[in-house]
Amino acid sequence: MIQTASMIQTATLGTFTLYQRRLAVATKTASGIAGTMAPPILWVLIIAPALADALGGFSPNVDYYTYVALAQVALLVPFTSMFSGINVIVDKNFGILPEFLVAPVLRASIPLANACAVLTIASVQTALIISLGTARGAEFSTSATGVLWFISGVALLSLITYALAEVLALVVGRQEAYGPLIPAVGVTPWFLSGSLFPLSVLPPVVEQISLAFPWTHALALMRYGMMENTDPGLANIWHMDSELLMAALSLGVLVLMAIGALAVAIRVFNSKTMA
Amino acid sequence: MNKRIEEEDRMNLTDELAWATMREREELIRSNYSHTVRTSSQERADEPAINGDQVVFVRDLRKTYAGGIEALKGISFEVGEGEIFGMLGPNGAGKTTTIGILTTTVRPSGGRVLVAGHDVVRDPLAVRRTIGVTFQESVLDNDFSGLDNLRLHARLWRVPRAEADERIAALLDAMDLTDRARDGVRTYSGGMRRRLEITRALLANPRVLFLDEPTLGLDPTVRQDIWEAIEQLRLRYGVTVVLSTHYLEEAERVCDRVAIIHEGRIVALDTPKALLKALGEEAVELKVDADPVTVLPALAGLRLNGSSPLVLGKTITIPLAEGGAQAGTLMDEIRSSSVSVAAMGIRRTTLNDAFLKLTGAGVNGHNGS
Repeated sequence: MIQTASMIQTATLGTFTLYQRRLAVATKTASGIAGTMAPPILWVLIIAPALADALGGFSPNVDYYTYVALAQVALLVPFTSMFSGINVIVDKNFGILPEFLVAPVLRASIPLANACAVLTIASVQTALIISLGTARGAEFSTSATGVLWFISGVALLSLITYALAEVLALVVGRQEAYGPLIPAVGVTPWFLSGSLFPLSVLPPVVEQISLAFPWTHALALMRYGMMENTDPGLANIWHMDSELLMAALSLGVLVLMAIGALAVAIRVFNSKTMA
Repeated sequence: MNKRIEEEDRMNLTDELAWATMREREELIRSNYSHTVRTSSQERADEPAINGDQVVFVRDLRKTYAGGIEALKGISFEVGEGEIFGMLGPNGAGKTTTIGILTTTVRPSGGRVLVAGHDVVRDPLAVRRTIGVTFQESVLDNDFSGLDNLRLHARLWRVPRAEADERIAALLDAMDLTDRARDGVRTYSGGMRRRLEITRALLANPRVLFLDEPTLGLDPTVRQDIWEAIEQLRLRYGVTVVLSTHYLEEAERVCDRVAIIHEGRIVALDTPKALLKALGEEAVELKVDADPVTVLPALAGLRLNGSSPLVLGKTITIPLAEGGAQAGTLMDEIRSSSVSVAAMGIRRTTLNDAFLKLTGAGVNGHNGS
């Protein structure tokens, strides 16, 4: 009992200390802060309205600006996660990771702390998008349960894509090899996840493949939470009548993906950092 | 023939030695080598064995990496409380692997290792609570100041804030880094970075301090400073130190005992003084123009009194088992022999000679016999 309590304390304190350090690294420089904030501002104030004006929309029930504004969250959060993979490589090859490996913290605390820091950054970016989008005219639902569905989608997408970034960064091991993976892995799936148009317009085979992407389920969940049942995203995935059931299923898929991805990331971290 | 011979460990010979009488040679050697008079740590090497507390216990340690690379082939040693224990060997000998296992960053393939009473495999977290480490490469958080690096370490090792601040101030003062503590570590010199890393490793009051090649890549003046700092820290804080090095003077000067490691095995383990005494404390060194292999038969006929010549490149070293008294006679015989010698002189033996005798290679990896 005492040992378990001690272990929990070690895990918590260690993870929190490393989390604070990771956040400090991300916000240390003006360019780091600008790099985090500028994309959401650009997208929600300029690009999303332009898309809405140019494309008009695919359904009279769906406000396209709101539809695309939420898609920006699903774009930026994984992009931020993938970029954080560079920090993993830098810390391992040139930085302070060896010091962390001999510290009296659980090894799993190291990637988990990074994931939590990325989640925090993603939260700030998301809050910025929602705030600016609202100011710009997006029609977000603000019910408590709706916001919870939305937050769940964002958080789980952030954790899954960070775990993916951690694995890729450790396996690839070099910045020059990892760089091209950022748009390839962090952005490409977004285009096929119902971000700019419904899944139903994709070729059938591609549509089926897109169901395996966490982006697809996360975006559908976010829109379910923030667009008052006007978005057909969940229906395009599950083809059921009950919106609540479909949301629960997508949530379940994301939870399983997050647990699996983080478990794999911790396993890869241990194998790559322990000879 | 009586040319000056410059040596790796900077113990230069003088021309007078070659021509001086025996008595004059002895006095010249003593005065010439006075800077190597034993320091307090080396004097302690003559004291009775470390007080019985074994802080590090290693038994039959083995490590085979993926691909079948056998880095450690069964090494065993103990380190007592307050001891400075050195592992000396060339690159690839297994020193860093050993330190990696002791600090729980490398998994052993076999054997048993205890650090401060905790098994490194079964209880790595407990081991890590008791150790401080400096790494071969500089490992600092380059985005932050020296002070921030130290505070982060204190938090990870759960040193209470007030105590941490006090220790940080004292250690920075001891390491002469107080004035630069708030500057970014990117602006630090190599020596400053290393001193900061040692400061950091001591912050949580570890039972064992592991230093992996602590002066690698530093210039000689800075290396001296680091050695003095290590000795002072042991005197002040009583911490046990395990260090790895391929610098002979570091092992001889700083360590109470040295384990000579070669190709994954410990080939000798004793105090530096005892290792050299077993070899003979002085040696005649010849530089020859011809292939030494062709010279050895000619030397074999001389009165070597049981000493075996050691060959490294074109240099032949003959340890003097009987001490300096043997030198004059031997050098006279060499001059009278058919051996063509480019230069010849007397010097003190070094751990490199001991290493060469035991392994057939120099500590810096040069092949010899």
